[in-house]
Amino acid sequence: MSSDCPSTASGPRVRTAEELRAEVANLEGRLAEADKMALLGRLIASVVHEINTPIGSVFSNNQVAAKGLETLSRMLEEPAPPPKAQQIVKTLRSLSDVDRMACERISALIRSVRNFSRGDGERPAKAALQDVLANSIKLAETSFRNRIAIEAQLGPAECECYPSAMGQVFLNILVNAGQAIENDGRIQVKLAVEDGWAHAAITDNGQGIRPENCGCIFKEGFTTKPMGEGTGLGLSIARRIVEEKHQGRIWFESTVGVGTTFHVSVPVAGPVVKGEA
Amino acid sequence: MDSTVRAEIVLVDDEDMVITSVRAFLEMETEHNVHGFTNPNDAIAHLETHPVDVVVSDYLMPQMNGIQLLARSKALQPEAARVLLTGHADKQSAIVAINQVGLYQYLEKPWDNNQLLLVVQSAIERTQLFRSLQTKIAELEAAHGNMADIRAKLIKAFL
Ligand SMILES: Nc1ncnc2c1ncn2[C@@H]1O[C@H](COP(=O)(O)OP(=O)(O)OP(=O)(O)O)[C@@H](O)[C@H]1O
Ligand SMILES: [Mg+2]
Repeated sequence: MSSDCPSTASGPRVRTAEELRAEVANLEGRLAEADKMALLGRLIASVVHEINTPIGSVFSNNQVAAKGLETLSRMLEEPAPPPKAQQIVKTLRSLSDVDRMACERISALIRSVRNFSRGDGERPAKAALQDVLANSIKLAETSFRNRIAIEAQLGPAECECYPSAMGQVFLNILVNAGQAIENDGRIQVKLAVEDGWAHAAITDNGQGIRPENCGCIFKEGFTTKPMGEGTGLGLSIARRIVEEKHQGRIWFESTVGVGTTFHVSVPVAGPVVKGEA
Repeated sequence: MDSTVRAEIVLVDDEDMVITSVRAFLEMETEHNVHGFTNPNDAIAHLETHPVDVVVSDYLMPQMNGIQLLARSKALQPEAARVLLTGHADKQSAIVAINQVGLYQYLEKPWDNNQLLLVVQSAIERTQLFRSLQTKIAELEAAHGNMADIRAKLIKAFL
């Protein structure tokens, strides 16, 4: 964007088409950022819940370890350690295994949040799209908890892309899929490279999209969800990221009562940058 | 309560991690037998064949939720005390269900060990008291004829 702001003293200056375009791009960028933060904000509650279990374990184990060591040290003072001592050692070993797993789980979750919140550079970069997608799945899963089974088949898909923006696209689609499933359900995620395109398909067995809504779902502000649950921004931003930023395609198939598949396809070589074509 | 009394505890949580930690804690602090299950159906199978003093169940599990499990437990062994372990987000559904299954207590995750111990011990005490009263009544009944009335009152007061 040009650096000379229209000054109020000299009155509003007529802006060039170039400036307007830049302004729109800037606003779109900020809207996408806001959507990303909203997605994260909504997921935070479930991420916290997800972290609570391992933390509860670690706290408990710590208390048990302290008590166990105390008992052991008392037993060591006896001429012959009672058989219970072996038992305690065994228990403490199993708890230290649990602690390691708990810490791994907590740090994996925190890593996912950090990966997701990381921004993109000005230009597309080489990234493993399967890792980006896996990261979004990990985050989405926290809100599905045990309600929804996720089956993922993610093939390698090295892409020139904006990884953080793609993560946002996937998370939006996954969250929608989860919201479309009322009780228990299943989400299948596939990723593969075909003819120079990385193609992701996310299939849910949720309520489906009613035919009269099919033309609207990518429109900004269109939502069928109650206030507070949806703002109708997710897919419009996903489309912009896929089509404009990556010169890719996003589309869906849906049958009411059966489910929905969202497809995202982006060129592995990345978008053709203007002036370099 | 005398912590040397051996009681039978059933612990159900789909997280192995929680089972291991809680079991280690209870075994360190008490002499009770702790039976841990990650699958509620296995816990039900256990309840069908073994007398139990207290059932502690997680709320959110893939096969069935904790309320459903405790309802089954109530049908199989009404005197076994029922304790629900819930995440903060499920608190509301837990409260709604308290009456449904005659919950003895619910605990929030992350759980506090001392509170857990307190709840489990008093639940066991209650169950064992109920059982010994029932045996006493049965004995009296054998000696003095009809005690059905007292028995009914007892059941009403406890379960
Ligand atoms: N997998 C799906 N199954 C059924 N309907 C869907 C699915 N994905 C999207 N939709 C429909 O498309 C609409 C628009 O989706 P979009 O993600 O843009 O907004 P939203 O989910 O309503 O709100 P937000 O994403 O801002 O929280 C949804 O309200 C829903 O009606
Ligand atoms: Mg959405």
